[in-house]
Amino acid sequence: MSEQRHPPYAASCPDCDVDLESDAPNEIVDFYRRHHRVTGHDVAFTRIDPALGEAVDEDDLDEVYTLADVVAQLEGEYDDGAPIGAVAAAMSERGTSLGETLEEVHEIRMNGALYEPRDDHLRAF
Amino acid sequence: MSQRDDSQPPAASEDGTERSNAVSARRLTGPGSLEREKEAVFGRYWVYVGHADSIPEPGQFFTRNVGDRQLIVVRGHDDEVKAFDNVCAHRGSKMVEDTPMTDPGGGGRIQCPYHLWTYDLDGDLRSTPKSFEDASLNPDLDSGEVQEFDCEANGLNDVRVDTVGPLVFANLGDDPPSLAEQVGAAADRLESLPLEEYEHGRRIVSEVECNWKLFAAVHFDGSEERDADGTLAVDDHGWTVERAADGDGSEDRRPDGLEAQFHYCWPNVAIDVYEDVDGYATVALDPVGPDRVQLIADYYFRDGDLSEAERELVRTTRQRRAEDAERAERRRTGLEGGASDRLGSNDRTGAELRRLAQEADDA
Repeated sequence: MSEQRHPPYAASCPDCDVDLESDAPNEIVDFYRRHHRVTGHDVAFTRIDPALGEAVDEDDLDEVYTLADVVAQLEGEYDDGAPIGAVAAAMSERGTSLGETLEEVHEIRMNGALYEPRDDHLRAF
Repeated sequence: MSQRDDSQPPAASEDGTERSNAVSARRLTGPGSLEREKEAVFGRYWVYVGHADSIPEPGQFFTRNVGDRQLIVVRGHDDEVKAFDNVCAHRGSKMVEDTPMTDPGGGGRIQCPYHLWTYDLDGDLRSTPKSFEDASLNPDLDSGEVQEFDCEANGLNDVRVDTVGPLVFANLGDDPPSLAEQVGAAADRLESLPLEEYEHGRRIVSEVECNWKLFAAVHFDGSEERDADGTLAVDDHGWTVERAADGDGSEDRRPDGLEAQFHYCWPNVAIDVYEDVDGYATVALDPVGPDRVQLIADYYFRDGDLSEAERELVRTTRQRRAEDAERAERRRTGLEGGASDRLGSNDRTGAELRRLAQEADDA
C-alpha cells in the first residue's frame, strides 16, 4: 500500500480553519495575500520543505539576524532568486509571521539591499 | 458504456424539466473561460461587493476585487455608498491598501501615496502638491504657462453601485439594466426583512479548487432547502427557495411570516435567511483563478457576540461548504477527464445556471 505524498509546504488560517498545501512556496504567499486581503488574518506555515532547513539551518539562523542574510543564504539554491515564499518559510522558523516577512521584504527592497530578478524572487546585493 | 463526451454539446432544455441533457466538459472547464468571464460576467452584471452597514460613517471604506479591478467602496458625506476604481487618475497607482470590509478604513479624503494627489469622497480631485502648480524645475516651461488641473476631469473613475437593503452591488458595465431588474423578486423578498438591524458576527473565507460555476452549481442549488419542504421559484437571474411558517403558534420573527429564505443572485452571491437561528448569511464567490474560487461567507445576527446556537450554525454551514467543495472538486476532476455533465429532469437550478453561463458566454 502506497503512502500518500504530502506537498512540502502547507499553511493555514486558524481563524477560518482553512489551509493550503503546495509544492511551490510562492503559492503559499499568494494564498496569504488572497486571504489577508478579505479577512486581515495572517496565515501561518504548518509544513516546510525539510530541504529548506538544510539550506538555512537552525545554527545559521541563530547567527543570521537580517532577512537579507537569509535571502543571501537561500538564493544560491535557486537559478533566478530565492522564492519569497521560501524566505518567508525560513523566517517563520524564527518566529516571524508571513505578513511580517512580506512587510520587511518591501522595506528592505526600498532601501536597496534586496532586489527582484523576477516577481516574488529575491536576491541580496 | 463510455461516459466520455467529445462531441459538441447538445442544446440544454430551457427549464430542465422536459428531458435530461448534457453539456460538454469544455463548456464548464474550457481554457480561458475565466478571462472571458471577467468581461462577459463580472464586467457586465451587478456583482455583490459587501455590506453597507460595515461603513456607517462618512469616509469609511473597504476594498473589493471584481474581475481584474479593485474597487474602493466608500460612504460619502451625503451618506450614500459609492465606489471608485482603486487607481489614481495621475499615474494609475494603487491608492489605498487592501482593506477588508470587516476592518474598514476611514478618513475624509482619498490620497494616493505616490504623488499625493488627493480626492474627496465624491471622487473629485481636490489637491495636488505644489510641485504640480509651477514649473520651477523645468527650464523649458514658464510657471505662468502651467495649466490648472480640471478637478472633475481628473477625478477617480466611479463605478455604479446600488443596494438591496444593506447589500451593496457594483456594476462595471457602461449601460447596465437596473439592479432591481437583475435581482428580480428576491429584491422585494429581502427588502421586506429588517436586514439592517442585524450585526456582522463572523467572516469565514475558504478556497475551492474548481471554477466558480462548478461550485455555484453544487452549493447554490438550494437542494437542502428544497428537501426541507421549500418552494423553488426560478427568476431571470437566480432563484429563491422559501419555506413557509408551519403555523405551530410560535412567534414569527419575520414580517412576512416566512421562516426561511434562500436566494441565489447571479453571478456571485447567495443570501441565506435562517429559520433555526435569528440571522442570515451572504456567501460570495470570487474567482481567483481559472480553477480556484474564494468563498467569502459573512454571518449576521441580532448581536455581534455569538450565542452557542449561532456558533453551531456557523460550524454546520461551514462543514456543508467543505463537503460541497469536495464534491465540486471531484466533479472538476471528472470533467477534466472528458466526462459529460448531465442534468436530471428536475434539476431546474442546474439548467438555469447553465442558461445564464451560456448567455454570458454568447454575449
